[in-house]
Amino acid sequence: MSAPRTTGGCSRALLAGAALIVPAGVAFAADAAVPVHYAMNAAQSRLEFTGTQAGAPFKGVFHAFTASIDFSPDALANSKFDVTITLASVDSEDKDRDGTMRGADVFDVAHFPSAHYVTHAITRTASGYAASGSLTLHGTTREVPIQFTFSSAGGGAKLLGTAQLKRLDFGVGQGDWKSTEWVKNEVNVAFNLALTPAH
Amino acid sequence: MTNATAPVRYSAAAQLFHWIIAALIVVQFSLAWTADDLPLGARKLALLAWHKSFGMTILMLAVARLLWRLAHAPPPLPAGMSKLERTLARISHATLYGLIFIMPLTGWMMSSAKNYSVSWFGLFTWPNLIARNETAFQILRSTHDALSVALLSIAVLHLLAALKHHFWNRDDVLVRMLPFRSARRP
Repeated sequence: MSAPRTTGGCSRALLAGAALIVPAGVAFAADAAVPVHYAMNAAQSRLEFTGTQAGAPFKGVFHAFTASIDFSPDALANSKFDVTITLASVDSEDKDRDGTMRGADVFDVAHFPSAHYVTHAITRTASGYAASGSLTLHGTTREVPIQFTFSSAGGGAKLLGTAQLKRLDFGVGQGDWKSTEWVKNEVNVAFNLALTPAH
Repeated sequence: MTNATAPVRYSAAAQLFHWIIAALIVVQFSLAWTADDLPLGARKLALLAWHKSFGMTILMLAVARLLWRLAHAPPPLPAGMSKLERTLARISHATLYGLIFIMPLTGWMMSSAKNYSVSWFGLFTWPNLIARNETAFQILRSTHDALSVALLSIAVLHLLAALKHHFWNRDDVLVRMLPFRSARRP
């Protein structure tokens, strides 16, 4: 987890060549720069989703998730997020609804205990950053883009972002819950991660 | 209160409020009783969504009805009624008025306490009245249930009293709340 990140295959040969003439650790070119590796401060981080049930929105959080974040604004090419979510930790402030979500017809945590998100590419946007990435949920992997902002704060950093996904793309909602009449297909995800540099 | 200009019938607006709310209350009981027996599933969610939407409709109608009622005196009770009968009629009417406010309000609070916000036919969402609290939810549910029994009992009494006036006393108490019928003279 804390091993220094290597660069992509394309520039590896170039770097190998560069390594011959520059001592290790000396600054790379901007697109080959090594991002800062962060660990997540779980107590101050939040992963939240908003669904719509019977016409009214409801919020839920996942209490258990881990994020390994490699990010620097000047090293986007090598920046990467890797997030694992323990689905059984879902909490929508109602035990009946939480039980239903953990059950076979929704997340089916007995067979699919966790969800995994990993980014492919991160780009700068007018208001922050956008990332393409794939989410594996309920045994299905789909592309889910995210939008986020990054700010350094007191030695650490804050990552604030959102994503929109359709639960049925992942087969989340079987039987009764396949219908979108009473539980909408669209789910909004929001995250607020408190990061500390890890070495 | 009785004078030459006092109305003999309930006005069209009063009748409309009365019958729409009465019909919605019947719908509410059917929805609630059907939903009560179901496990948490799409069908239960659907029935309760309708129940909440109709409940909020009743609450809005109750506000409008009370305001209207305060500005418009109802026709006087028949002259032949005893003081006790008048008092009972007044108490049961006031209680029914109170319940068409309290039932939706306890339901709304119940949904809030359970963190299932109330939508109005999917068009908009009402704000939560109280914070999420399981104990409060249990108390509110018992209250909502107990009051529903009270509402049902008083509504049945109200209906029986109207029929008694019509068939036993042969006055116009029932007819003056019916559209399309001319009031019979006492």
